[in-house]
Amino acid sequence: MTTTIQENGKQLIAFFEGRLDTAAAIPTAEAVKPLMEAENKEIILDCSKLEYISSSGLRIFLSIRKDAATHGSKVLVRSINADIRQVFVMTGFISLFEIE
Amino acid sequence: MMDLHSELILEEYRENLPVFERMKEEVVSKLTSALARNGLIVTAIEARVKTEDSLAGKLALKGQKYATLEDITDVLGARVITFYTDDVDRIAAIAEKLFDVDWENSVDKRRLHQLDSFGYNSLHYICRLPGYNFRFELQLRTTLQHAWAAINHDNGYKTGVEIPREYLRQMNRLAGMLELADDEFSRIRTEINDYRRRVQQLVQNGKLDDVLLDGDTFRSFLQARPFDALNKRIAAINQAEIQDVPLIRYLRVLKALQCNTLGDVKRLIVKYEDDAYRLARHQLGTTDLDIISSSVGIQNICIVCILDIGGGTMGLERFFNVVNGESSQNAALAQLTFEQASNLPFMQKKK
Repeated sequence: MTTTIQENGKQLIAFFEGRLDTAAAIPTAEAVKPLMEAENKEIILDCSKLEYISSSGLRIFLSIRKDAATHGSKVLVRSINADIRQVFVMTGFISLFEIE
Repeated sequence: MMDLHSELILEEYRENLPVFERMKEEVVSKLTSALARNGLIVTAIEARVKTEDSLAGKLALKGQKYATLEDITDVLGARVITFYTDDVDRIAAIAEKLFDVDWENSVDKRRLHQLDSFGYNSLHYICRLPGYNFRFELQLRTTLQHAWAAINHDNGYKTGVEIPREYLRQMNRLAGMLELADDEFSRIRTEINDYRRRVQQLVQNGKLDDVLLDGDTFRSFLQARPFDALNKRIAAINQAEIQDVPLIRYLRVLKALQCNTLGDVKRLIVKYEDDAYRLARHQLGTTDLDIISSSVGIQNICIVCILDIGGGTMGLERFFNVVNGESSQNAALAQLTFEQASNLPFMQKKK
């Protein structure tokens, strides 16, 4: 599992690649720390190469969303695959995020 | 050329410019905090320190009227522009607590008009900030009054006497119309607030069939957390934690499902909560997902209702499009959800 962050003007884009399971959660949480502190940014969680997400992964996404709100930033989840969309629907997380 | 007296006042102005700038910051900050504390939302809070050119112009016209700079009360001018005419009085009451009001020089222009005249409506207070010698002017007016005053100011006439009679008549006609519109906006707000209070009373008394379903009434209904019991049952499947999320987006779906009153929504919950729980158990029971949002309960109730009334996969796809946004994946998701729900008792009976 790899996480890369790119800054593009007002946007901060996090690219997730691989399986965001319990084992990958700790390094991923570390990797997304810059997103948590970003002020007034549009944070994009690019999931086009994310294959799987567990509860731990959902919690990371949720933390990013909560911290973003306190820093005046906005979070957008981009390009989730069908399996991840199903996870988002089953858990109701689909109502928590703006999904593109 | 400027006389010596006016020059001295201008010199005093230059020396005290930083004081006026500090006053400006303090006035805006005090007003902003006080309005926020009182839950008052306004169009704008603005303030400006008169420019040297503008002050020089004023002194050229009537410099002898002022002994010192302290006699000029509008070097600092602040303005609060409200949405509603009622709020002008509420903010005036707040300003009276924040600042020392110089009542002798304050004017309520709303009360100056004769019964048969219309025109500039605004409340002008001359105030003093504790700890400062200089006074400042605080204007309170509605957005419509502000629009009228700004446009009227733009015509280039400094006093009402200069304005051609026909133009004055037309501007006053508009002022009368805007005054009426201001009163109407206030009346509508009062009626909406009364309606909301009546709805809350009916919801609290359980008279749900008497309450038509709309944005206000659904919000009141949600305050009683009608989906909590179902969400907790669903959370217990995997010992999950529940994250709160606004449910207002489901209003459109509930209306499409023929819920016309809150009573209809309540009956929908009672009728479908067991099947909604079974669907969640079928979906989540085979996973280790131990975090859900509070939308799962209402989402699953809508899903089983759509299937029960024969909406099929097309109905589910439309539902996902409305609630979660359009996506090319929603058709496949609808198909999958249909298959997952096909083992539920009410679906078995349909076969």
